[in-house]
Amino acid sequence: MSLQERKNMLLGLTFISPWIVGLLAFILYPLASSAYYSFTDFSGFGAANWIGWDNYTRMFDDPIFAKSVYNTLYYTLLAVPIGVVMALVLALAMNQRLREVALYRAAFYLPSVLPIFALSFVFLFLMNPRYGLFNYVLGLFHVAPINWLGDPKWSKFSIVLLAQLGAGQYALIFLASIKAIPQTLYEAVELDGGNGWHKFWYITLPLITPIILYDVMIGLGSGLQILTPAYILTNGGPVDSTLFYVYYLYKNAFSFGDMGYASALSWLLFIVSVVLAVLVFRTSNRWVNYEANG
Amino acid sequence: MSQRPVRFMLLTLSLSLSSLAAAQTEVTFWNTSTDPIDLKGYARIVDSFNKANPDVKVKMVQVVGAETDSAKLMSAVAGGTGPDVYLLDRFTVAERASSGLLTNLDSYVKADAGLSAKYLPFAWKETQFKGSTYALPFDTDVRMLYYRKDMLKAAGVDLAQFDPKNGPISSKRIMEIVSKVNKTDGTGAYTQVGFIPWYGQGWHYTWGYAYGGKFADATGCQVTPTDAGVTAGFQFLADASKALDPQKAQAFLSTYAAPTNPPAQDPFITGKMALEVTGDWMIANIKEYAPNMQWGVTYIPTPDGKKVSWSGGWSAVIPKGAKNVDGAYKFIKYMTGEAGQSIYVKDTKHFPTYKSLLSVNSLYGPDQQFERALLPSSLSRPNLPVGALYWDELTRAQNTVVLGQGDPASALATAKSRVQSRLNRFCR
Repeated sequence: MSLQERKNMLLGLTFISPWIVGLLAFILYPLASSAYYSFTDFSGFGAANWIGWDNYTRMFDDPIFAKSVYNTLYYTLLAVPIGVVMALVLALAMNQRLREVALYRAAFYLPSVLPIFALSFVFLFLMNPRYGLFNYVLGLFHVAPINWLGDPKWSKFSIVLLAQLGAGQYALIFLASIKAIPQTLYEAVELDGGNGWHKFWYITLPLITPIILYDVMIGLGSGLQILTPAYILTNGGPVDSTLFYVYYLYKNAFSFGDMGYASALSWLLFIVSVVLAVLVFRTSNRWVNYEANG
Repeated sequence: MSQRPVRFMLLTLSLSLSSLAAAQTEVTFWNTSTDPIDLKGYARIVDSFNKANPDVKVKMVQVVGAETDSAKLMSAVAGGTGPDVYLLDRFTVAERASSGLLTNLDSYVKADAGLSAKYLPFAWKETQFKGSTYALPFDTDVRMLYYRKDMLKAAGVDLAQFDPKNGPISSKRIMEIVSKVNKTDGTGAYTQVGFIPWYGQGWHYTWGYAYGGKFADATGCQVTPTDAGVTAGFQFLADASKALDPQKAQAFLSTYAAPTNPPAQDPFITGKMALEVTGDWMIANIKEYAPNMQWGVTYIPTPDGKKVSWSGGWSAVIPKGAKNVDGAYKFIKYMTGEAGQSIYVKDTKHFPTYKSLLSVNSLYGPDQQFERALLPSSLSRPNLPVGALYWDELTRAQNTVVLGQGDPASALATAKSRVQSRLNRFCR
């Protein structure tokens, strides 16, 4: 490397040094120390005694761990497909040629920027078994009231419903992708005698599969890490039906003073998330179409 | 020429500021309470301490936290920005001390002769871990059965049974007695309920103790939730839940007693529940939110007529890494001493752990005499380094039982195995 090139490189490094420092201090260092602590009995303070693989083997004897894994997988398998469908439906709705469509787009997008804390409290009122709006609507169809947050059978589904308030931001991305589809393709369908459904199934859907993949990946990540609604609305109950993996991790770290075990749990989550993401990517070749804009 | 006056000004300013800093030290006090009445009491203690001690300024900050969740404190201490004084639920002192979160107060306490004798014995015991003192006891409380005379009369229940002179009502009959108060609407959901024993302070400890159970053995190295008395207490809850129908009772609680409700919406205060097992703070709440309510207190129902209650309460601790340990100790000695506790007791209707204050009649209103008489014989939770975990596990077992998802014996056996495995680490 010539002197000038070296100077340029050093200058470049200096310019990005704040980001490098941030990466080291806030991402790499915590990752490394968390990995270290997962092999110790660290309580959060004082000495960290090395205990080898104990924390990891302990997980498999821990019935609460098993329950939290079940809850989290159940929730993710429920929330991701529903989330994708919801975002797609909203995007199609936002795509209508109405004069006031901008108002609707804003209304659909707004909940996804509001703090989840506030939305959870609103949902607490909506889901009140006696006075809540949800049961009132069910009553209009002569369906028995559901105890959304107090019935172990429905509690996870209630949180899935709450998560749909965030569908707006993915709907916006879907909308951009739909708008990028050339009109000529739709005209071709019309010429072949197709209707709206054919347009959707044969043109729209295949061409937005990259965005569907994106939504699935993001959905997987946030599904596996779900915490806030359970923490605010149900405290992990009723009967541990909403005790999610990250909530259990949090309790171990801050309530039971078992930072070592919590670190081990977080690394397991990390490894599983990476494996799942790679799996989804590998199999995506079969259904994702990347030649959208011809 | 104009530089000299500027330099002189800067010099005098810096000197006066530094002398001011040397004269007055600051103590940060983190308070996790959310009850407005309690907060007023704490504020008064801080004010009166600051007035009496011009060299130490205490600043009270309200922070997030609950009995078993001290995430904010732990991360602050780990990051070096922790407070000097923290309010910790007394039964978790041993657990937090074992984590290394608290400052050992032995050097201060040993210099203060006779301090331990000034407090109620069960309260002092809870501040100890491995023979050292890690907290100073603050307040305490008592649990009993509150009943609404108006709702019971309207339902045709005989009020004489509830007179404390007749001793505790039998727990075998209590559900049946108040079932007359239960009202349902067209869909079968409860609009009014006589008694939900697991609501309020009707925790596992309450009914375990009511049935004569023990939660840990004398050595402090074995937890005993599968003890006959505790199992019988859980069976009482299971039977009560079946009598009410678990789903309907749960729906009632979700509707009228959401966990995020403020104290003013407690179903006992809003007239939805005729009986509630809760603590003495309910007296202050009733005075504040429903002063015209006709109510009374009696002993917690027991199967054999024994008078049983248990007490909790808070304590003041100095977390590790506190910047002003001397000032902090000065403040907590005041707060948990005669001066601080008498202010708090008068304002909030809680009870003191400072022994001599129990006999000061002017601190207690006529509506507190029942509790006052109950306090000396009240039980307390076992002092274990797994206090928070044990509480969570017992709560999990209780929820399993009251929702009809498991029987007491197996739910308690699960709790035992999980807590014991962690307790074993401390007892090697």
